[in-house]
Formats: sequence, structure tokens, C-alpha cells
Amino acid sequence: MSVKIAVIQFPGANCDLDAIHVLKNVIGIETDLVWHNHFKESKYDGVILPGGFTFGDYLRAGIIAAHSPAIDEARVMLKDGRPILGICNGFQILTESQFLPGALLRNDSLKFVCKWVNLKVENNATALTNQMNIGDVLAIPIAHGEGRYFTDNLKELEENNQIVFKYSNEKGNITAIANPNGSMDNIAGICNLERNCIGLMPHPERASEPILSPNYTEHGKLFFDSMIEFIKRRTS
Amino acid sequence: MTKVKLNGEDINIEMTKDEFEAVKELLKKEPNVTELGMFDVMWSEHCSYKSSRPKLKFFEDAEKNYDYVLAGPGQDAGVIDIGDGYVLAFRIESHNHPSAIEPYHGAATGIGGIIRDILCMGVRPIALLDPLRFGCLKDNSHSQWLFKYVVKGIADYGNCTGIPTIGGEVEFDDSFESNCLVNVACIGLGTKEDFQHAPSKAYNPGDYVILMGGSTGRDGIHGVTFASRTLTEMSEADRPAVQIGDPFIKKMIIEATLEAVKTGYVRGLKDLGGGGLTCATSELTGSGDTGADVDLRKVITREPGMNSYEIMLSESQERMTFIVKPEGLEMVLDVFRKYEMSFAVIGRTDDSKILKVYDGDELVVSIPSKALSESPTFKREEKRPKYLDKLLLEKTPKRILSLDEIIYKLIASENICSKEWVYRQYDHEVGVRSVIKCGEGDSGVLRIIGTNKFIAASVGVNSKHCFLDPYEGSKGGLVEQCGNIISNGAKPMAMVNCCNFGNPEIPESFWYFSKSVDGMNDFCRDLKIPIVGGNVSFYNEDEVKKTAIKATPVIMIVGLIIGQENIITLPFKEEGNEILIIGETYAELGGSEYHSVIYDMEGGIPPKVNEREIKKRWDYIFELYRNNYIKSNHDVDKGGFIITIAEMCFKHNLGARLNINDYNSNRLKDDELLFSESVGRFIIEISPADHDDVMNLAEKFGVYVKQLGTIIDSPEIIISGFQVKDIKLDLSKMKSLYDSTLPDMMDI
Repeated sequence: MSVKIAVIQFPGANCDLDAIHVLKNVIGIETDLVWHNHFKESKYDGVILPGGFTFGDYLRAGIIAAHSPAIDEARVMLKDGRPILGICNGFQILTESQFLPGALLRNDSLKFVCKWVNLKVENNATALTNQMNIGDVLAIPIAHGEGRYFTDNLKELEENNQIVFKYSNEKGNITAIANPNGSMDNIAGICNLERNCIGLMPHPERASEPILSPNYTEHGKLFFDSMIEFIKRRTS
Repeated sequence: MTKVKLNGEDINIEMTKDEFEAVKELLKKEPNVTELGMFDVMWSEHCSYKSSRPKLKFFEDAEKNYDYVLAGPGQDAGVIDIGDGYVLAFRIESHNHPSAIEPYHGAATGIGGIIRDILCMGVRPIALLDPLRFGCLKDNSHSQWLFKYVVKGIADYGNCTGIPTIGGEVEFDDSFESNCLVNVACIGLGTKEDFQHAPSKAYNPGDYVILMGGSTGRDGIHGVTFASRTLTEMSEADRPAVQIGDPFIKKMIIEATLEAVKTGYVRGLKDLGGGGLTCATSELTGSGDTGADVDLRKVITREPGMNSYEIMLSESQERMTFIVKPEGLEMVLDVFRKYEMSFAVIGRTDDSKILKVYDGDELVVSIPSKALSESPTFKREEKRPKYLDKLLLEKTPKRILSLDEIIYKLIASENICSKEWVYRQYDHEVGVRSVIKCGEGDSGVLRIIGTNKFIAASVGVNSKHCFLDPYEGSKGGLVEQCGNIISNGAKPMAMVNCCNFGNPEIPESFWYFSKSVDGMNDFCRDLKIPIVGGNVSFYNEDEVKKTAIKATPVIMIVGLIIGQENIITLPFKEEGNEILIIGETYAELGGSEYHSVIYDMEGGIPPKVNEREIKKRWDYIFELYRNNYIKSNHDVDKGGFIITIAEMCFKHNLGARLNINDYNSNRLKDDELLFSESVGRFIIEISPADHDDVMNLAEKFGVYVKQLGTIIDSPEIIISGFQVKDIKLDLSKMKSLYDSTLPDMMDI
């Protein structure tokens, strides 16, 4: 069975080529870089919305891209259960498109922040985390100015088990110091009710090769491995 | 300013009367206002290098003397061949004056400009580095304001374009208080074909001239002449001469340009920076030995009613000029359409060797293509400043503070403390190439995906040393930057520089420039490092205080590492390993942080460079690398070698037990030994098992190496062997001082 993934190239996306590199050269899966206006969902088993500053993040991060025809195509995939991963700006696009609940606000420091953080896995029954264990601590970097997760319905998110990752310390403790941007409840990533769409601020594509990681880990790979596994299970 | 009569009317121009006469001579007629404006801009110091050119001629011809240098000085960027079919392009530039007036947009458009310079070599920009200089931050809200918004300007622009900022440098000194220095460097990576596709010339008559990117507005008119003057109180009124950047459009321009070049139909490429359309069209046709017809009514303007003078001189950001083969016009335009970039076919090249600009049917400019780049040069006078004699004789006061108190003060000082506050705001990981990241090593190291090669880059200079001795200081800057990349295992490949000096019309200021150029030239010739590009920024003076900035010939070195196993890192690795120092320490406290932080003094004898000695040390280190003897390596910089050792201890919570008695062969005073900033020293970690081999090699290479002590498993540095009692430094206290200085000052 051949699996084919699309990485959408919105104007101003800048982690598109990084995602392509990891999928093709590290994971070894067929992947197309697709210009947003040219994207047709029927050709793909899964889609990635990469990080960057789509449309300059003007007006509000992700909101202009949320009105791209590519999002209408992706909505078809959302409905029929194909996996969708939004990374950083991709996460912002997913909340602006209402694929995912909540919003991403300016960091509490009011500054852009680029650093390696630890993520604790809270839910491994999703399209993008099935190769992880609950409680695993992943080392993955962040790089954003507007990553403070906010929702006015935290309780529902918790009850539905939609919180997938929380910022933690190395031991997996959810502490205020481990929270790099002031996100509500240390939330770093969430999923939809159907578990096929995930958005997170950290960048798994920057943590998928030991040479790039401070402790030679490759935790980012687990996301892409999970996506492939999910597609295989779904189509078999 | 000069007042001249043009067609019976008085007008003010920046050029001198003699230059005005030279323009008339060249044109064999009286220029009109637009033509004169074009000459005024292109003959400004910023564009023409008229003061520096005679001196820069002394740099050797890198393209001729080094077979791996593909483009040398005088081009938009230096280009070197790194093998496996890849080339690197790099350049450094100043954006001092705009940043001093409007720090956010000044710094942002500096980044925008340097990205375009790399892009017009046909390669993808993959890294930024920013050496910055401000007045001291403590109790100075103006310096804090400049620092905060320059960093934010760089972050917002660089991060959005998806180019990681992998390194840089920040110095604080009162001489930069009103005239801060914002230098920006960019590295590009591409294949040899990418580079050869699109040179910065229009050499084929009949090609289309296309202007692509942002619209042309009234911003930035005469930006370069503003950069060629001294900042005054009046400069606030120059704020409209600072351009506004748009990093989103820049990102689209990068992608559209690279895709257009890949079509094979782009024959020439040039960015619009200083001098705008005037500079781009004249340099393209001038260096291609062609002419062109250009119609200004085709140019997309931001507002109606712009006249030919404004359109030709606008320095609106985010624009590129393409010279396109006639048969490929539609293919190239389709690329621009895909990215929804606006563009206009504004003219065609011809063989007239004359640049003709039309406003609709009316011919408004007719100038020989090469004339604008043929500015007269000035032979500037140089004179060694008198005050130096007195400064060099200054003696270190008798020490009152204890050595440990001094070390705690030094590690918390603005110039030595951690710069994490800065680099956390920069995306230094995008591109998935960053192997040694900001704060983790002496230089930034990037992998070249698809090869086993890595590049290392470092940028900076010590302006306090250059102030006392520009010749030795600029050599010291080279030793330091090379030392930084060598610490990470890289061999220096090439150098570019950014010369920041005062008013060249003042002989004392010009002397600093002249001596610095001599220093760089002599060192690079001896050590076989090609100089592949440079930038000169004069007129960096404080008109109110009547002082020039400290001479700052910033140096960027780019080097190569082959094989991941040959990357060396900074942190100490293992308890029980030995700590060695390579190179002697001399009584060279002049311009040291110790003098400045503890005694608030600038004088004394600054470090000198002995090229032969330096060469031997480098060869020795690479021999140790070949034998895998070095576990960690860190170049000794500001504050002396104890600071270096402390920085190596931090990451893994290790410590050091040292005895300096054996090392003090020159019988220096304790403070001289600890705090001298003698250049070219390294602290290395080796296993005790390799001790004898390492020492034998030192003897063989004729290099001075001493063991200072061993690594211990507790966070403290214990030093014995002084004339006074032993000292014990608490590393957790040092780390917290090191980390807190900038946040305490900036995050209020």
C-alpha cells in the first residue's frame, strides 16, 4: 500500500521544506509540497499544515490562511477521518478554521521565544500520537510569538480528553516554570473529538534527527510514524 | 551640502562643487534635476566608496589567488565553492544610521537588505548573524530603547522570512550611545549552477527588464545620502528617509526569485537597495556593457503623482530587478503570478550603452550606463590621534578588590554576560540545519543536508582594542573569529568585513580606517584567508558630544567541517579530565573588560598579534583533532581565561581545580595573568591518558601549552598558585550572575 502525504505551502509558510525533508529523507514516505491554491484532497492520505507566518500573520496569526481554498479541501479530509497535523502556525490556522477549539494568543512575555521544551503526552489514542505512551516526555523545540493557548471551555476539553500535550519539566511534572508562553493549563497541543486532527505549537520536524537534538533524541519522528500507522490501520 | 545653480535655479545637493563639475563634464551637458539626483545618490559615500576605494584596492584579488573563490569584493556577495556541487555566498553590511533614528524599522530593513544581496547571487539565504553595538545599558533608557527595538526588528523580520539567526555579537560602550552600530550578515547556499545562472549584469541586448515585488513609494528617498552624513539633532527630521520593511513580501520574493532562476530564463538579477531603481538599472547595464530603455509609467507606484525624480530615487523595500530572456518572459511571469507578486515589464536592454529613462513619451534621463559608477575618489588624509600616547601609558591602578570579587563583577558585566535574552527572540532552528545553536558554542554550525559537510560562522571584533591600536585590533578580531570556528572544529575558508568608522574627512578618523585595513590585509595574506567582500560605513559620530565611535572593523569568518565526528563543542565533558591552556598570557590589559568594568578606564597596552605563533597554534589544534585528543575547546575572549573556564563548566554542572603557578612564566601580576585579553588562546579538555602525547606534540609544533588543572564534579572553581591566598569561586553564583544581567535590565 502506498501512502501519500501533502504539505501545504501557504504564502509565508517557512517550515514547509523542513517538513518535506523529514517526511521524505528521514521517514521515507512519499510527500508532495503543494501550493495552497492547487491542493486537491483526493490525492492524499494525510495533510500537514507547516509552521511559518502565513500571509505575514497580518490581521491575526493564521486567519487569512484559514480562508484559503486549501482549508475547504482539508475539511473534507477532516470529515472522513484522514489525519491532519498543524504545527505552530498550522495550529493557529486550525483554530482559526475551527477544526480545533480555542485560540492562540500572544505569549505572556510579549516576546518571540525559541527554545527546546519538554512535552508530556496526555493522550496517545490519536492519529498523531499512537506510537507514544501516556506520560512519555518528549524533547521538542518551540519558536513562536503567539502560542499561549486559551479556551473558554477548558472543562469540556478535559472531559473529552482533547488535551494531547502539556508543557512539563524533564520529569514530566506540569509546572509553571515549564510553561514557556503562559498557555492555559500548560496546554501545548490538542485534538478534535474524532482524534484525527491535531494541532501543537512545538515543532516535531525540528526534533526528528539526533544530530539536531541537544540530547540526541528523535522524539519528533513519533508524530510522523504515528500518522503512517494510523493511515495503514485505517485503510486496511 | 552644496548649493549649485541648475538651469538658473539654486538647488542643494550633497556632492561637492568639483563633483558637480565632473558630472557636467561626463554628460557634456547640464544635467536635469532627476539626472543630478541620480548622480548625487550614486556618488554618495555609501554607494561609491569614494573615500575608502583607494585604500580597499590594497586587498589582494581573492578570485585570482584562490581557486575556490568564485566571487570576490565588489560584487553583491562573496561566493566560495565548498565542493559536492555547492557554493556559499555571504556578505555583511551596516544599517547604523537608520537604526539610530528608528531602531525597529532600521534594523528590520537592514535584514531585508542583506537577504536581497544574497538572493541576487541566485542562492537561498540560510543564516543570519548580527553584530550589534550600543551605549552601556545601565541607567540609560535611550540605550535600552535602541537595544530592545533593534533586537525586536531583527527578530520580527528574520523570523518571518524563515531564515535562522545563528549567531552574532553585542558590545556595549558609551561611544555608541547615540550612534549605535547595527551590522547584519547573511549566508546563502546553492548549487554552482544556481550561482552561475543569474549574474548581476545585463549583458545581452534585447532582454526584458522587469521590476518585481513591492510597490514604489515616497519612502527612503535619499536614504543613502543620509547614511553618508553625520547624525545630528536634525536627524530626527530624517526619519522619513528610513524605509519600512515587509518580511512577508520578502519571503514571497525569496521563493519567487529562486523559482524564477530555476526556469533558466533569468539572465541577470539585481536587488533594489540603496539608490533604488537608479542603482539597479545603472549597475546592471554598466557592468553588462549595455544600455536600456526604461519607462517609468510602467512602474507600480504606491501613490499617484510621483515624478521621475521620486521614482528613480525611491528606496522602497522588497523589490528586485530581473533581466529576462525574451523567449522565457511568460514562463518567468507565470512564476510571479503563482506567488501573487506584482511585477511590471519596465523596459528592454539594448546595445546603446546609455541608460534612457522615459516618463511616457518624454525622455527624462539619458546617462552613459557606466557614468554613475565612475565617481571621483578622494585621497583622505590620515593622522594618528595625539590622545593615544597618553592612553597607552595609562597604568592599571593598585588593586583594592579581591580577585574573586572582580571575577563575579566581570561575569555579570554587560559585555561578558549571557546574551540569551537576545537569541531566545531569534528563531535559530528553522531550516533544520542548526547543529550548534546560539549559546552552545563559539560559532554557529550548520549542516549541509545531503553531504557530510558542515559550515561554521562567527562574527565580531573588539572595539576597545581597536580604539587603542586599530592595526593590531583588527588582526586580533581575525584571530578571535577564526579561533571561534576553530574551537568548533572548522577550518577558516574566507572572510568578509564591515568597517564602521567616524567621519573620513577628519584625518584622525580616517587613520583608524586605514590602519584597520592594513591589519586585515596583512593578517589575511599571511594566514591565507581570502577577503571576499566588505562594506564601509563612515560618519559614525556623535555630533553633540563631538566624538567618533570606537573604531569597529567587524569581521565575519566562514569555515568548513568535514564529518559530524569532527564537530567539537564547548562544555566540559568528564570529571577527572585535564584542563589545558594553549598560548601565553602577556601583560596586555589595555582595552580589557577588567579595566573598563573595575576602573572605568580605557587605556593601557592592548593585545598584539604574532601571526607565526598563531599559525603554529592552529596547526597544532588540528593535529590534536586528527588524533581525537580534544574533548572540548573554547576560545579565550573578553575577561580572560577564568571566564572561559567558567563557561565550559556551566552546562554539565562541573567544576575545576586549577594551579596557575606553572603557567605564569612571564611572572605577571595576578590581575594581569587572570584578566589580560591576549588573543589566540584556547582552553581545551583532554583525557589524562593522552597527556604525554598532547605535550609531545606541543613541543614538536613549538607551541606553548600548559596544564592548568583538572575537571571536578562539584560546581566550583578553586584556584591556587597566586602571590596571595587561594580563591574559590561558586559556579552557581557565577551562573546566576551571568544569566540575570540582561533580563534584570530589560524585562521591567
